[in-house]
Amino acid sequence: MGRFGSNIARALASKGFEVIVVDSDENEVREFSDIVAHSLVLDATEERALKDAGISDVDVAIVSLGQNIDTSILVTLLLKELGVRQVIVKAVNDKHGKILSRIGADRVIYPEREVATRLAESFVSPKIFDYIELSPTHSIIEIAAPKQFIGKTIKDLALREKYHVSLIAIKRKIPIVTEKGTPDFNEDINIAPAAEDELLEGDVITLLGKYEDLERIEHL
Amino acid sequence: MKKKKPVTAQDYIEVGQFYLLNQKYAEAIKQFKKALELKPDAQVYYQLGLAYEASNETTSAQDMYRKALTLDSKLVEAAEHLKKIST
Repeated sequence: MGRFGSNIARALASKGFEVIVVDSDENEVREFSDIVAHSLVLDATEERALKDAGISDVDVAIVSLGQNIDTSILVTLLLKELGVRQVIVKAVNDKHGKILSRIGADRVIYPEREVATRLAESFVSPKIFDYIELSPTHSIIEIAAPKQFIGKTIKDLALREKYHVSLIAIKRKIPIVTEKGTPDFNEDINIAPAAEDELLEGDVITLLGKYEDLERIEHL
Repeated sequence: MKKKKPVTAQDYIEVGQFYLLNQKYAEAIKQFKKALELKPDAQVYYQLGLAYEASNETTSAQDMYRKALTLDSKLVEAAEHLKKIST
């Protein structure tokens, strides 16, 4: 299952999803017995075993088999043949990803590459606090509001018309005085801000748009 | 004629806090820096860190929180803010 698969399983279980963990290694599976809904020791390359375990009824299957390319291809093929609605597979390289797409994987992911891209983006632009790649053309960025935006309302900024991006949220630090009598601040998040909301010094904005449009705002 | 009272570090700190609480971060930074010239103090480094953090100058904020912790390793709030902006 590897580190990626383990982390995904934990994250989904913590969000309340009914997760089934499958691995041929009993020790790996045992680790999840108290965390997920079902943890099964079985060989995922055995069609019969997958069928008996009711895997065909799951909404989404995530295949994460580390560097084991042959096995991940075989398991993906079996899951699609069993009729699993959505099969997401972790690929280790482009060739692997291409084969997975050809045999019917609904989504191919490259976690290491995605993390690296994100990290690289944050190095290139220290103004970016967070970055999510949505597709090869679109992403979401969290960025310090450019100086030119401060004191203006969302309506005045006309971000959609001028930059073709959507403003999703405004994160604002609200200064407070602590019990000790010293300053500090709380963070307030305004999701889907209204047209009359104004941007203030120190605001962090979350924007959705095409790379080239977001880049224009980063360089303001 | 009354002699003018010299400006103390505490005067700068109070003005800096005023600006910080009124979200005038650039002004707050100036005042805290002046206070530090007169009296290097963990609490002032921490508040300067807050002003930098509030104006999204993360690297400078980290530096100030570290300086605050060097002078007072028990300054929990500086450690908390440093952890928050370093992850």
